[in-house]
Parts: sequence; C-alpha cells; structure tokens
Amino acid sequence: MRHAYITATGSHLPGPPVDNEGIERHIGVVSPAASRLGRLVLRQNRIRTRHYAMDAEGVTTTTVARMGADAARDLLARAELSPSAITHLATATSQADGMVPGLASGVHRELGLPPLEIASCQSVCASAMMALKNAWLQVAAGEHDASLVVGAEFSSRYFRPGFYLETDTIDAEGRLSGDADFLRWTLSDGAGALLVEPRPAVHGLSLRIDWISLRSFADRFEPCMTGGIACAADGARTPWSHHPSAAEAARRGAFTLRQDANALRAMLPVWLGELMRLVDEGRIGIDEVDWFVCHYSAHSLREEMIRLATRAGCMIPEDRWFTNLYEKGNVGAASLFLLLDDLLRSGRLTAGQTILCAVPESGQCLIGYARMTVVEN
Amino acid sequence: MSDVQPADPAALAAANRGLSRVWIDLESGLATVPVIDRLLRGRLRIEDYRSLLLNLRQQVVEGGRWISRAASSLGAGHEELRSMFIRHAGAEHRDFLHLEANYIAAGGDPSLIRTTPKNIGSEALSAWMFHAASQNDPVGLLGAMFVIEGLGEKLARPWADLAQRQLGLPDAAFTFLRYHGENDGDHLDMFDRALALAVTDARIADDVVRHARVTARLYRLQLEEIDHV
Repeated sequence: MRHAYITATGSHLPGPPVDNEGIERHIGVVSPAASRLGRLVLRQNRIRTRHYAMDAEGVTTTTVARMGADAARDLLARAELSPSAITHLATATSQADGMVPGLASGVHRELGLPPLEIASCQSVCASAMMALKNAWLQVAAGEHDASLVVGAEFSSRYFRPGFYLETDTIDAEGRLSGDADFLRWTLSDGAGALLVEPRPAVHGLSLRIDWISLRSFADRFEPCMTGGIACAADGARTPWSHHPSAAEAARRGAFTLRQDANALRAMLPVWLGELMRLVDEGRIGIDEVDWFVCHYSAHSLREEMIRLATRAGCMIPEDRWFTNLYEKGNVGAASLFLLLDDLLRSGRLTAGQTILCAVPESGQCLIGYARMTVVEN
Repeated sequence: MSDVQPADPAALAAANRGLSRVWIDLESGLATVPVIDRLLRGRLRIEDYRSLLLNLRQQVVEGGRWISRAASSLGAGHEELRSMFIRHAGAEHRDFLHLEANYIAAGGDPSLIRTTPKNIGSEALSAWMFHAASQNDPVGLLGAMFVIEGLGEKLARPWADLAQRQLGLPDAAFTFLRYHGENDGDHLDMFDRALALAVTDARIADDVVRHARVTARLYRLQLEEIDHV
C-alpha cells in the first residue's frame, strides 16, 4: 500500500449563523413545553450558533446533494488538480434526499463531473469515517489517484412542526416525545469535503492518513437513534414499511428523527475502550497527540469521560482538543470534515504534528478513530 | 477518583485499560448466551428467570467464602488490602438469601434451590476462584472482583428491568439484581482504591487483567451451562 494524504478541504454552511434565539424562526414552534426543553438542551450542548438550509418560513432552495456539491466546489477552488482528475467519490450522510438512490449519485450529478466510481455511505455521524476509509484505501491500494469525500446533512427538514402534527410523536397537550424533541435543539445543516491523493499538496500543509479504525458494537446495543421507524410507548419499534400504508406509518411517527439521549451513558465506556485498545496495541500514544479532533455533542457526559480516560492513562489534555461545535453546530456526518477544514485553515498546524480524530456514533453504537500526521511537501 | 497515590501510575493505567477491554469483550460475549439473548430480545420465559436464579445461587453462595480465603492469603504488607477484602466478604456473604427469596417470589421451589448442585460452568468458576484465592498474596484476584462487581453495577439493574417488564413479576422477585445495581457502584469506588494500592508494577497489572479475563470467560460459561449440572 502507498501513503494517502488529505490535500485539500472545503465546506458549505447554508445561510447566516443562527443564534439560540433564532432557532425557532427556522424550525418553527411546536409548543411552549417543547421550547422550554429546548433551552435546557442548549444549556447542555452549549452550541451558540448553527446554520439551517431553510429560511424563516421553512422554505428551502437546496438539497443534501447540492450542499455536498457546494462544499466540494469550495474544495476544488483550492485544490491543486482539475475537477476532471477526480475518479472516485465517497459520500457520508445520515439521510440522503430520498431513500433511493444513494447520495453519491446526487452529488456526482450536481458537480457535473465525468463518469467516476462512487460509494454512498449511510449511517449517522460515523458514516464520515466510513467514506474517508473507503477513499483512503482506494487511493492507498492504487485504484484511484484522486478521491473526493463529501459529508452532508439536512436534519432541520425533520424538525418543522408539520413533521410532528397529527402523529403519535406529539401528545394532546402539544408535547413532543423527549427522544424527538432533544434532536431539534442539537442538529443542524451543512456539508464538508476532503480530497485524498497519493502525494502531499505542493503548496501548504497536507494530512497523511496513518490509519482509520472503525468498529460497531451493535451486538449489545439496541438502536438509540432512529429515523423511518415508529417507536411505541412500550418501546416496540416498527419499520415504516411494515405499516399498512404510508399515511399510517406517518401517523405512527415513523418519519420522526429520534435519539434516546439516556443510552449515551452506556455507550461511553465502549467508545473509550476502543481508544484503550488502540493505545495497548501501540497504534497511538496519548502523549504524541498534538490535536484531538473529537466530534462530540453531549457535554453532560464530559465528567464521566474524563474520569474513565484519566484512570486508564488515556486523557488527552484539553488544550489539545480542537472543536468548532459551538459556532457551527452538530452537523452529523459532515462534522468531521468541517472540523478538519477549520483545523487546516486555522494556521495552528505545523509539519510533524499528530492528529487523532474520533467520531462516536450513537445510532446503534459505533466509533471511528483515525490518526493523521501533518506533512509539508 | 481514589485518594491513594499509586506506586506506579503507568502500570495502574495499563491495568485499567486492560480491565476496560475485558469488560467490553465480556458484554459482547454475554449477548450471545442463549438466556441473555432471549432477555435482550424480550423473549424471556418465567422458567428462564427461575433457572437463572437457581444457577447463579450456587456460585453466589460461595462469594463471601472465596473473598475471605483471599483475605487470609494476603501476607504482610497487604494489611489495607486485607481489610478491604474482609469488609467486602462481610457485605456479600449473605447475598444468596436475597437470591433465594427472589426465586421463591418467582414461584420457585425453595428446597430445589438449596440442594441443586452447581452447573458445569459454576464448578469451573468456583474452582478457579478458590484456587486463585489460595495462592500467596493473590492481588490478581482484584481482576476477578472487577468482573463480578461490574456485572452487578452495569448489568444487574437493566437485566432486572427487562425481566420484570417481560414477566410481570412483583418487585420482590428482583431485589437481588436491584441491590447490586444500586450498591456495586460504591463497591467499585472501593475497588479503584484497592487497585491503586495493589498495582505496584507492570507484572501485577498483567496479573490483575489475566484474572479478569479468566473470570469473565468462566462467568459466561456458567450462563452457557444453565441447567447442565
């Protein structure tokens, strides 16, 4: 295998930043009770601004694929190769514009590139690691010389009141079920892109991908984050397709995006355990990490995480953490790429530094870690 | 965190990493054991719950005994650790009475639970514990305690809740599992202290993790061998 490098990055965040007071102007007001819960969730996640791909009337002019393509165009404006040199495209998202076909087809069409190989990775946040690993291995194996990786999310389309009204997700007093309400205040929209090549960029810094480790723990966890599945009060889950009609599936709340925030606590030791495995196997030393790029959103878990990491000798000092969560929001499968884009453009990297990326996914519990080295040609 | 200054912080951290990984593998393994698989899938029968209690009881009844033996095997220089073991044995050695009461509340036959021999896995687990406890200065046994207390702290309460939802039995049938769910967190705090005292070099760290690994496998064997006596 040959080395592969991230040689360019790009991002697209739709519209102006929206502060906490402005959220309901975009995703709408469901009920006073839902607004109260929102303030509580915002205190916990500490996000101050985010972006939405719909205006104050809930009208949108973009799509997941278009946002992905916009991020790719931002990247191409700074890349050292022609768009036509790209022969591989890997995408990551929690939900493409439609259930069929995959997002990569849509991004390919929007970009207007010649025929190329594609891979559409669909999961939740960690689909970013799946797409990046796909691109890295394609380039490292010599199959492609330029792979474009795109992550894009349009979560806010699920959050408008019209997606809850007259469904089982909302009760007679107008209260949303907690697993649905939580995400309204957590997720927002945008896209990020990376370019992977078998050589570092000539101008500026690149990131050599040393390894990517991705592991699922669905053997012991029930689904924690769901879309397209109706969840009854007794916990029973029914896929949308098992309802007698599409209208009935919608009434039962199958098209609500949900997350059981309480299940995160049980996943935390498993996510950290993976880091411990990588340390024990000698793939990363905690002291060598200059930048810890962790996609996280649950501040309430922070204390427990520090306790577990510290006693296992795996605590990376907080001054080495890099985040843009508070300004750019939690953009799911796009977050890792938005983080790397900001870090590369921050002017704070120097050649030889080691970056450890972490993307935990609560969907049904998985985690991806990646080690990268900053290189200068 | 523990108030004990560890003699070898790197070895202590390595032990904690090893224990965390043993735990992760144990949870994967347990999810594949037929009775636990049925519990997690919502397909538990009352006979399953009674069997689970019946089979656990024969090993739980010996818990206080192997910890006491380990205490007596700890020699000079391990006084603080020995005090902890003795307190722990004292707290646990009548636990099996809860378990028997739960079994009876679930409709089980009291004479059966008191006379059924250990299953094949419990025989192996118990023999291992007494063997390990009989060695000189058996500080590696902290790894075994980590596994047993972890089962109580992390799994007992969710298991009790799942089983009660599926079986509709009264609270009186679940006090054993729930007691451990509520109290083993304190026991694990004590465990952190004990580990900081005991792990004075890398060799002991390895020994603790090895004891945890063996205990985790044999505990799973005990659940795999339910009713195989």
